[in-house]
Amino acid sequence: MMKKVRKDELIVPVTFIVFSILCFFLSGISFMFLAEQVALRFIRNIILVLALIFPIMAGMGLNFAVVIGTTITQASFIIVLNFNLTGGRGAALVLAVSLVAAAGVGCVIGRLLNKVRGREMVTSIVVGFLANYIYQLIFVAGFGTVIHVFNKKLVLSTGIGVKNMVDLKTFKEVFDNLGVFRIGEAKISMLLLAMIIVCGFFVFYLMRTPLGQKIRAVGMSEEKSANIGIDTDRIRVIVIVLSTVLAALGQFVYLQNIGSLNVYTEHLDTEKFACAALLAGGASIRKAGVKNAFIGGVLLHTLFVLSPLAGRNAFANASLGEYFRSFVAYGIIAFALVVNLRLERKGE
Amino acid sequence: MGEYVLEVRNLEKYYGQNKVLDKVSLSVRKGEICGLIGANGSGKSTLMNILFGNSIIAGTGGYSGDVVFEGEKVQISTTTEAIGRGIGMIYQEFMLIPEMTVAENIKLTRENTKRIFGRALGSELSYVDRKKDSEDAAAVLEQLGFQIDNSYLVKNISVNAKQFVEIAREVNKQDLKLLLLDEPTAVLNDEDAGKLMKVLKELAKKGTSIIFCSHRLHEICEVCDHVTVLRGGKAVSDYGREELDMRALARDMIGYDVTAVKKERRNQEKKAVLSFRDFSVYMPGEFLDRLNLEVYEGEILGLTSLSGHGKLAAGYGVMGQFPVMGEFLYGGASMDVKNVRKTIEHGIFLLPDDRKNMGLLLEHSVRDNIIFSGFYGRNLFQKKAGGIFSVKDKKEIDRYVKQQIEKLDIKCGNPDQKVKELSGGNQQKVCIARAVLVAPKVLFVMEPTRGVDIGAKEKILDMLVQINREQGATIVVASSELEELKRISDRIAVFCEGRLSQILTPDASDEEFAFAFTGEEGEDGQ
Amino acid sequence: MDSKIKLPQIIITAFMAGLFVLAALLGMDIPELISGSFTKFVMNGVLVLAMIPMINAGVGMNFGLPVGIVAGLLGMCMAIQLRMTGIAGFLGAVALSVVPAVILGLIYAKILNMVKGKEDIAAIFIGYSFIPIMNFVWTVAPFTNREMLYPVGAEGLRPKISLENYFGSVLNELFVLKLGKISVPLGLLLAYAAVCLLVYGFFKTKSGSVMLAVGENEKFCQLSGIRIDRVRTTAIVLSTVIGAAGICVYAQTYGFVELYNAPLSHSFPAVSAILIGGCIGRQAKISHAVLGTYLYQTIYLLSAPIANAILIPQMSEIVRMIITNGIILYAFLKQERRRRQ
Repeated sequence: MMKKVRKDELIVPVTFIVFSILCFFLSGISFMFLAEQVALRFIRNIILVLALIFPIMAGMGLNFAVVIGTTITQASFIIVLNFNLTGGRGAALVLAVSLVAAAGVGCVIGRLLNKVRGREMVTSIVVGFLANYIYQLIFVAGFGTVIHVFNKKLVLSTGIGVKNMVDLKTFKEVFDNLGVFRIGEAKISMLLLAMIIVCGFFVFYLMRTPLGQKIRAVGMSEEKSANIGIDTDRIRVIVIVLSTVLAALGQFVYLQNIGSLNVYTEHLDTEKFACAALLAGGASIRKAGVKNAFIGGVLLHTLFVLSPLAGRNAFANASLGEYFRSFVAYGIIAFALVVNLRLERKGE
Repeated sequence: MGEYVLEVRNLEKYYGQNKVLDKVSLSVRKGEICGLIGANGSGKSTLMNILFGNSIIAGTGGYSGDVVFEGEKVQISTTTEAIGRGIGMIYQEFMLIPEMTVAENIKLTRENTKRIFGRALGSELSYVDRKKDSEDAAAVLEQLGFQIDNSYLVKNISVNAKQFVEIAREVNKQDLKLLLLDEPTAVLNDEDAGKLMKVLKELAKKGTSIIFCSHRLHEICEVCDHVTVLRGGKAVSDYGREELDMRALARDMIGYDVTAVKKERRNQEKKAVLSFRDFSVYMPGEFLDRLNLEVYEGEILGLTSLSGHGKLAAGYGVMGQFPVMGEFLYGGASMDVKNVRKTIEHGIFLLPDDRKNMGLLLEHSVRDNIIFSGFYGRNLFQKKAGGIFSVKDKKEIDRYVKQQIEKLDIKCGNPDQKVKELSGGNQQKVCIARAVLVAPKVLFVMEPTRGVDIGAKEKILDMLVQINREQGATIVVASSELEELKRISDRIAVFCEGRLSQILTPDASDEEFAFAFTGEEGEDGQ
Repeated sequence: MDSKIKLPQIIITAFMAGLFVLAALLGMDIPELISGSFTKFVMNGVLVLAMIPMINAGVGMNFGLPVGIVAGLLGMCMAIQLRMTGIAGFLGAVALSVVPAVILGLIYAKILNMVKGKEDIAAIFIGYSFIPIMNFVWTVAPFTNREMLYPVGAEGLRPKISLENYFGSVLNELFVLKLGKISVPLGLLLAYAAVCLLVYGFFKTKSGSVMLAVGENEKFCQLSGIRIDRVRTTAIVLSTVIGAAGICVYAQTYGFVELYNAPLSHSFPAVSAILIGGCIGRQAKISHAVLGTYLYQTIYLLSAPIANAILIPQMSEIVRMIITNGIILYAFLKQERRRRQ
C-alpha cells in the first residue's frame, strides 16, 4: 500500500541534502572518504535512532532517557571486565546482562513516565541526566571502595575509580574474526551488521502487529484508547522497555565496533543526536518509522562529517563547522517541538 | 427471553457530596432491549459508566450496591474487564481514532493475524492480516446496512458514518452479551436511525441484551421491551412494552411542576440588543448548531436543554472560548469573538458554570475577587498618586466591597478571607458582585445555582432580577433547573441536539416543555 | 496553607549541616568557608531571582536562562571593549545588557507563547540551539580590545576573559565587614538585597498582581478581559533582563567572563535552587529564591574541599548534579500529584 508522502515530511530531509551538497563542495574531500566516515558512524548509531521510534508512536514524544540504556551496556562491559572474563564468552555475557538490566530499568522508567503524563519529554531529559551522574558516581567513587576490584588494570593508581578509558579489544576481536564487511577503510563485523538488520526488521514488524496497532492508537488518542479497553499504562511501559533495550543493544554494537570505551563521556549527548537524526529523516514528534531512521541516519551523519571539514577548508576555522552542526542538531529538535506543539494547539 | 443477563440492585454513587445514584435497581433479560431515559443529572451516564468499568468511577470513590452479571456478582473496574466479559459500549462522543481507517477502527484490539505466526507468538505479536480485517469490516457494515469505503480515515468521514463505524466495532465482537448504547441516534438522520433500530432488534433476537439510552422518545417506544425512567438519581418509573406512552415518559423524565408560577408579562419594547445569525459553536460535548435568535434589550432570557444539548455553548462562543462559525451581532454591529477584551469593553460579560476553575481566584481574598474584573479589566478604582502613578483607591474599594457583602449577604469572616474557604453559595455571590461592578449591558450567567444551597439560591436569583431591573442589564441565563428559569425569565429558549427547539413563555405547560426538550412533536404537530 | 518548611527543605538543610560537621572534623577553616558561602550565595542569587517572573505568570521554569545570560555577556563584552572600569564599569555593563536582553526576550517570548503547556522542553532546546549561534558570534565579532581576544593565531574572543583590569570584584570588596574571622561582603549583599526588593516591589504593583493572577488562573483572567499573551511576554522579558543582570553579578564576583558553552551550565542549577527553596512550580516567592540559593550554593562550596580530602575530587561535581537533577525530578512528580487531586 503506497502512502503519499506529504510536503511537510519532505522539507527537513531536502534541506539537509541541500546543505550537505554545499558542504561537500566546500570541504574538498573525496566521496570515498565521506562514504567511509558516514558508514562507520551510521552503523554505530542507527540502533539508538531506531530505539526512539516506539515512544514517539505511543505519543510520549522524544525519549531522551534512552541514554540510560547506553550507560547500562557500558556498565556491563566494565563489570564483566572486572571479573576478568574476556573473548566470546565475555561478550555474550555483556550482551545478556545489558539487555536484561535494560528491560528491568526500562520498566522503572516507564512507570515513572506514566506519572508525568504530558511532560514526558522534559522528565526523560532530567531522568537521563540523573542516571548519568549516578552511573558516574558508581564508577568514580564506588569502584575500589564499595565494589571490590578484581581487575587492577581497570582502576586508577589510587585504587579508587575506574580509568577514563577502558580497552575492549578482546571482545571486539572475537566478533571481527567471524567475518568483516568493508567500506573503504571502515570495517564492520558481520555479526554486528546482522544485529542492525534484525533490529530494523524488528521495529518494522512490531508496528504491524496488533500490539503495534495498540501503540499507534494510544499515541493518537490515549483517552479514547482507554475507553475501548486498551490498557494504556501497560502499553506505555512496554514501549519504554523496548526503547531502553534497543538503546542498550545499540550501544553494544557501537562499542564492539570501536573497541574502546571512554567511561565517563562516551554516551553523552548521543540521545540528542539520535533524536536529530530521526527528525532529519522526516519524522515528527508524533510519527516516526524505520524509513525515517535510516534516511535520517545517513543525512545527519553526512552533514556531521562534512561541516567541520567545510569550515576548515572554506573559512580556515573548523570550529565554525562544528558550531554549524551543533546548531543544526539542536535546532532541528527545537523546530520540531515548536511546529508540532503549534499544530497540536490548532487542532484543539 | 430467558434468565437475567444483568441485575443491578440498590446502586448508589456519590460524586463528592452529590448523590448521583440513589438506590437504583434495574434488570435486563437475555435478548431484551431495555430503554433508559433521564434528564440532566438523572444518573444515567453514571450508571452506564459503572457497568462498563470506566476509570472515572473508581477514581471518584467507587460505588455501593450490587451488579450481578450472568448470575455472578461482579466488580467491574476496568473497561478491559468489561469487554472481556462480553459487554460493549457505544459512547455519545465517538471513541474512534481519527487518524486510523474505518477498518482499523472496527477491528482495533481484535485484528486478524496471519496464521503462520499464530501459535508461536500469540495473537498480540503476529503480523496483522490487513486484507482479512478489511473483509470483516465490510461484512459488518453491510450487516448494518451502511455503505462506506473502509479504507477512509475516520477523521474524513461524516458524523453519520462515524456513528455507524462505532456501532460496527461493537457489533463485530464475538459473543457480545450486553450492549450499552448512550444516545446512539443523536446524530443520525431518520433513515439511518431506522436502520439502527432494525439492527438492534436483530441483535436482540440473536441473544444480545441491550440497554438503550436516548431522549428520542418515539424510538424508545418503537424498539424497547421495557423502559426505566431515572430522575434525580432515582428510578422513578418502569414501563413494560404495552404501557409505553410518550407523554407519560416525557412527564416522568422532566418531572412535575409542583409550584405553578404565575408571572406577569412585562410590557417591553422588543428591541434586539444581541443577534445570532447561523451561529455555531464547536464546544466539545455541547455543540451549538446554527442558532438564529434575537435577544431583546432589558429582558431576562433563559436557555435550557438536556445536558450536552447546547445551552452552555452560546455564552462561551460569544466569549471566544471555542471555535465558532456564523455571525453574532451586538447593537447591529458584527463582533469578533476572539477579541475577548473588546467584547468585555463593549459591555458583554460572562459568569462561567465552572466556578472553581474559571470564575474565581481561589487563593485570593473576597475583596480581590470582587474587584478583579473591574480593576484590571475596566480600570476602575484607581486614583493618581502624586499625579503620575496609578494606585489602588483603597478607601473606595473597601467601601464598595463592604456594600456588596451586605447587599448579597455574603457570609465570610472578613473581606480578606480567601475565597476558597467560602461555601458554594457564597462563592457564587462573590462572582455576582464581581459582575455587578463591571456594570455589563449584557450578562451571560451559566448555571447560576449549581452547587449552591437553598438559602443562597433565592438570594442569587433575586440579585439577577435586581441587576436586570435596576441596572437595565439584559441577562441570558443558561441553566438546567427549569424551575428557576420559570421564576425569573421573560422567555425560555429550549435547545435539543444543538438546535433551537422552542421558545416558550414561563407559563407554558409541562408537556410543551417536555416535548421541547426531547425534540418530539406534540399531537398537534407543534 | 502549607507550612513554609517542608520535608525536602529539612533534608537538604540537614545535609548541609552534616557537611559542615564533616568539614570541621576534617580540620577545615570553617570561618573561611562561611565567608565563602556568602559570596557564592550572592554570586548566583540574582540568576535564581530570574526564575520568579516566569513561574509566577504560569510560563513554567525558565530553562531558557541561557538567553538572558547571553544578553548579559554581550553587555559585559561591550563594557570591556569600551574599557569601563570600577563600579561605574559594572553598572555600565548591566545597563548595556538591557537592550539585548529585551530584544532577545521578546523573540524568546514569541516562541514560548506558541507552545503553551510545553514551555520547559521547548526552552531547553531553544537554549541549546541558540548557543552555537552565539559561539559563531563570539568567533567573528569585531571586538578590538586585545585582552578579550585569543592570543596570536586563533580567531575570535577567548573563552574566559579576565575582569581584573575592569570591574572584577568591585562589589565584593565594597564594605567588607569583619566579624572575628568571618568576612561578610556587605556591598555584595546590599546589591543583592536591592534586586530582591525590586522584584518584590514589582509584584506589589498592578502589573505584578495581574501577572500573579494569570499564573494562578489563566482562564479566569481571560474572561476578565486581560491580554494573556502580553502578560506572559512581560514576564519572560523580565526574567531575561534579570538573568542578564545575574550573569554580570556572577562574572564580577568570579573575576571572569565565560563565553561559548558556559551559559548552558547555569539553568539547571538555578531551577534546582528555587525548587530547593520550597517553590513547587506554581508560585515563587523571594524567600524561596533566597533560601534555595543559600542551601544549594553552600552545599556546592563545601563539597569540593571535602571531596578533595577523601581523594575523589570529581565527586563534588557529581553529587551536586545528582542533587540538582534529583530535586527537579521530585518537583515534577509532586506537581503531577497535585494536579491530579
